[in-house]
This record gives sequence, C-alpha cells and structure tokens, in this order.
Amino acid sequence: MPFFGRKKSSFEGGGLVLFEDVEDAMRAEKVLKEADYAVKLVAPPPELRAGCDLALEVNLVEQPGIERALKEKHAPYVRVAPLRAGTSPLLEIVKATDFGGQVMVKAGNMKLSFDKNSGVIVNVSGGGCPDIPYLHSELVDKKLTEAPRPRDIGFTLCALMLDRALEESLVLWQGGGQR
Amino acid sequence: MMLIVGTVPIRDFPLTMGRITVEGEDLVVDGRRIPPAQGTGAMISAALAAIDYLKLEAPQVLVAGDIGQGKGTREMYEYLIDKVSDISPQVMALHYCLPVMALMRRLCESVQRCRQKALMIADAGSMYAAKAAGLASCFDIFTPDAAEMAFLADPDATHPAYIARHLFDADIDRTPALVAAAYQHKNAARLLLVKGTVDYVVDGGDVVARVAEPDVPALEAVGGTGDTITGLVSAFVYAGLKPHEAAIIAARSNRMAGKFAEASPATRVQHVISQFQAVFKEYLCQWSGVCYEVGGQQ
Repeated sequence: MPFFGRKKSSFEGGGLVLFEDVEDAMRAEKVLKEADYAVKLVAPPPELRAGCDLALEVNLVEQPGIERALKEKHAPYVRVAPLRAGTSPLLEIVKATDFGGQVMVKAGNMKLSFDKNSGVIVNVSGGGCPDIPYLHSELVDKKLTEAPRPRDIGFTLCALMLDRALEESLVLWQGGGQR
Repeated sequence: MMLIVGTVPIRDFPLTMGRITVEGEDLVVDGRRIPPAQGTGAMISAALAAIDYLKLEAPQVLVAGDIGQGKGTREMYEYLIDKVSDISPQVMALHYCLPVMALMRRLCESVQRCRQKALMIADAGSMYAAKAAGLASCFDIFTPDAAEMAFLADPDATHPAYIARHLFDADIDRTPALVAAAYQHKNAARLLLVKGTVDYVVDGGDVVARVAEPDVPALEAVGGTGDTITGLVSAFVYAGLKPHEAAIIAARSNRMAGKFAEASPATRVQHVISQFQAVFKEYLCQWSGVCYEVGGQQ
C-alpha cells in the first residue's frame, strides 16, 4: 500500500547564496521558501562575504534549481558558494573517450555518450542524484542539437555536470562539421 | 529481510513499500510499475536476478517518485526514520536520493534502535549524504565509482562536483592512494567496492582484491551498470557471503554480463541485466561455492 509521509521540514546546508545587500537576501529567502526549498538566513564567514553580512544557507546539491528559481523571479544574488572552508571550486575538467562509433564525454562524475555519425545521444551514466535517471530518459535517443539542456530541466549539481558534458559533446560534434 | 530504498524518476509515484515482483519487463511493487532502467530500477533488477537464482525471499523495496526536487526523498527518509526499528531489516541498501545530511543523520540514529544490526549499504545520493555528514562509519559497504572515490578522499567536498582537481585527475592506478585518504579522514565505509577500469575491493583500508577481467571498457558508458553492481553485492551479502566475497563476485558477475551482452556505449542496462542468469549458471558455483544441482538441490 502507498504511504504518505508527514510533512516535516528537514533543512540541510552545505552551500551559501551570497548577496550585495540585505534586501536582496530577504527577497531571495521568500522566493526560495515559496518554491519549497529549505533555506536559512545566516551570517557568511568573512572569506565568503560578497557585499552584505547576510547570506542564505542552502543545500549545495540543489544549486542549479535554486539559481533557476531566483532568476525566474528576478531575485538578484552574487553567487552560490560551498560553505565549508577549503572546498575546491566547481570541477571544470571534461574528458572525452573515443569508442570508435561513439564518443563518451565525462564531466565530473557524469558521462554522456553519443553516436559519431548521427549525433544521437546513446547513453548517460554516472551520478547519484534523483534527477539523473529522469534526465537519462529525457536525453537518450535524442540528437545532441535537439535534446533538452540538463541545466534547464534538472535540479542538482549532477545535472549541472551533465550539462557540461552535453555542451562539450556539442562542441565535438559540431567541430566535426556536423549540425 | 532485505530492504532496498531509493527514488524512482516518475514525478507522481507515491511513497510505496512492498515486496518486489517482475511482470514482463517491469518491476512491480504494490501494483505500481517501475522501469528497470538506470538508477534504483537497475539496482533492484540486478538484486532480484541474484536472489531469484539463489532461491531466496524477494526483497522489500521502499520507493518514492523524485525527479530532483527532493519531495520523494524526504517522504522516503521520514518514513524510514520512523519505521526502521520496527522493520529491522537484515540488509538495508540505500540508493538514489537527494543528498540531505540531516535526514541521513536521523536515519543512522534510528538504525541504532533496530532489534538486530542491519548490514548497511549505500551508493549514489545516499552515499553522498553519508560522507558529507561524516557518517561513513554507519555503513558496512560503499560502492563508489572512480570519481566518487575522489569525492570520498577529499575531506572538504560535500558533493562530487566540488572535489579537488588533483584528486579528480587521478588515474585509476592511484585508487589505493585515494582509498587511504578516505579511510584516514574516516570517510569510507568498512568495505569499499570501487567501480572502474579495475574494480578494487577494500576491507578496513586494505586492498583485498583487484578485479580487471573480463575487460569491457564500454560498460563505463552504459547508464545503470554501477547500479547493478550495488544490487548484486547487496543480494550476495543477504545470501550470507562475507562482504568482501560478495563484492568480488558482484564485480566479476557485472563484467561477465557485460561481455555476454557484447556491450557497446549504446547498450541499455536491461540487456546487461538479462545476462545475469546465464552468468550465474556458468560461474557462480566456481566463484563462490554456492552451487545448485539440477532440480534445485544445493
């Protein structure tokens, strides 16, 4: 039988949204709470202070969905940053492996493979966030040029890395003279 | 009882718990269908293939729809936090979810109240949450891939997208160094099965096995073939194998299924899963000592 869990907010941090002024922070808090994100107003550590002394703590893995929600509501912010001191910047490394008929492009822990002749996405692998199986079903069997962008329909950092893999795949595909 | 917990990529799929069955190509729980595709579906399908072959009781699953917004994840974890001490599974495998550290912390507290010590396995988002929250010691088995191994080795990373470049750049040959760092920072479960060009089985910090054959490089590109390894190792420990034995046989079985499937980057994981029965029939007795004669007698 299906169960319906009790509604209980379970906030978790790991990331900060930084702002130029307090008014922007308050506005963003309202926008994100209305979008059902768990957030908390906090004072940013000095090394992350971008303008004002108020920031929003968010679940870092939800960064793409949070940024999209803020942009859709025209809520200004400076950037999203990991809260933990010493955290490295977002991975920018992209690697490609040629399998003969297909190329696999790897960005972070996400991999996208496409057919070299047709430009059709043949597989998506890696990643452990819940939007990845959804993105797998949305992307596979579509041409690179016609597939939805993971950053537009995904919600997590895994989706952001998959978007980078798709971006690089497009460059490789179009660099090969294909459209 | 074995319990598999994970989200499924179906937006309105309600929180559901029940015994898993197979109908046609789909998994079915409480009358609801789950595709055996990348993610929790592939993991359950692989576990079921092994459990069916070994003639064990089919696993219970706790699943909820979530396409990344976290609602299904929260429902699933809140239910489990409340009920796990009553369910008291022998083996509990946690899989895809939005990584939420506070929920994982509360779940690990609840697990302590179980009548029997559950053997705890985590992969995917559940492993990310456990590591980020500093709760790796709550788990008996993690099944990271090579990039996720770098995440476990980086003491400051809360997600694999934010790992130090020098760790990510590491070649698979450097896996033992990453493993050592993960154990040093207490970010590894007791046993690690690191999935890669070479699969490493690590018990308490010691590399106890390297599995490299058969070599099927295309498996890395096939979405869901990491999930199937996690499903297999879960099933094999449920069958009574020691964790390191289960991990070695899971890695071998997955590779052999890829070979049987003649996997290319365009192969679907369902095609790999469909090879497991043939792999077990040919190799499981030889690899594990778990042997069945014709007629089902052990």
